[in-house]
Amino acid sequence: MYNFFNNSNIFVWIEKLINFINSIFFALLLAALSFALIFSPPDYLQGDSVRIMYVHVPASWIGLASFTCIALLSILNFIFKIKNLRLITKSIAPIGLMFTCISIVTGSLWGQPTWGTFWAWDARITSMVILALFYFLFIVSQKLISDEDKANKISSIIATVGLINIPIIKYSVEWWSTLHQPASIKITGSSTIHSSMLMPLLLMFLVIILYCALIFLMKYKTEIIRIKKKNLKRL
Amino acid sequence: MINSLIFMNGYGIFVWSSFIITFLVCAIVYYKTSKTLKKYEKEFAKEIEKLSAEQRKIALEKSKVASKVFSSYNKIV
Repeated sequence: MYNFFNNSNIFVWIEKLINFINSIFFALLLAALSFALIFSPPDYLQGDSVRIMYVHVPASWIGLASFTCIALLSILNFIFKIKNLRLITKSIAPIGLMFTCISIVTGSLWGQPTWGTFWAWDARITSMVILALFYFLFIVSQKLISDEDKANKISSIIATVGLINIPIIKYSVEWWSTLHQPASIKITGSSTIHSSMLMPLLLMFLVIILYCALIFLMKYKTEIIRIKKKNLKRL
Repeated sequence: MINSLIFMNGYGIFVWSSFIITFLVCAIVYYKTSKTLKKYEKEFAKEIEKLSAEQRKIALEKSKVASKVFSSYNKIV
C-alpha cells in the first residue's frame, strides 16, 4: 500500500491523468461556454447579467474548498509530518488564490449592474478579501522562509487561523444584513435555482474543476522533479 | 442573434469582461505552470546526462521519475 503512494508511482499516475484531462477538456469547455452564454435563459429580474454567475460561483466554491482542504491537510501534516501533504498544499494554494481573486473581480463586475456599485465593504465581500490575504500569507511563508520545518509550522498556523474565516464567509449573508444575496444552491434542503440555470452552472463547475486538477497535477509533478533533482546531487 | 449575444441588453460589457478576465487569467497560469514544468524536466534531464555512465545507469534503474523524464527529453532532442 505504502509503495503505491511513493512519488514514482504517483508520477506515472499524474502523467496518465494529465493526458486524460487534456483529451476531454476542450470539448467540455466548448459545451459549458455555449450553455452559459447562449442556451441558458436570462433571469427574470437580473436579465443577462446573471450569466456572470457561471464564472463567479464556481470560482468562489473553488476558493473556499481549496482553503478548507489546505487547512485540513496542514493540520494533518503538523501532526503526522507527511511530506506529500506539504507538496499537495503547496500546489493547491496558488490555484485557490487565483480563483478567490477571480471571484472578487467577477463579483465586482456583477455588483455594478445589480447593486449600482463595483465595491461595498459588505460582510461577504470583505471576508472574501480576508481569504485572499490568508492565501497570500500562506504562499509567501512557504516561499520566503528557507528552513523547511519552520516554513511548515508557520504556514500551518496561517492555514489553521484562516480556517475560522470559512464559516464566516459561508454564513455572512445570514448573520449580517448584506448586499450579497443568500445562497441559491444548498447541499441540504431545496435549491432556489431553476434547472435550466443549474445544469450550465454545474457543467461550468466541472470544467473549472478539471482545469484546477490539471494545474494541480502539473505543479505536483514539478515538485516531484524538484525533489528528485535534489536527490540526484547526492549520488 | 449576434448583436444580442454581444450586447446582452446592455449587460454585455459586464458579462464579457467577467468571462474574458477569467479565461485570460486561466490561460496565463496554464502557460506559466507548463513552462516551469518543462524547464524543470529539461534541467533534470541535463543533470542526468552530466552523470558518468555508471552513475546514470544506477539513477535510471533506481528512479522511475528519472527514467521517464530522461527518455521523454531524449525523444524531444
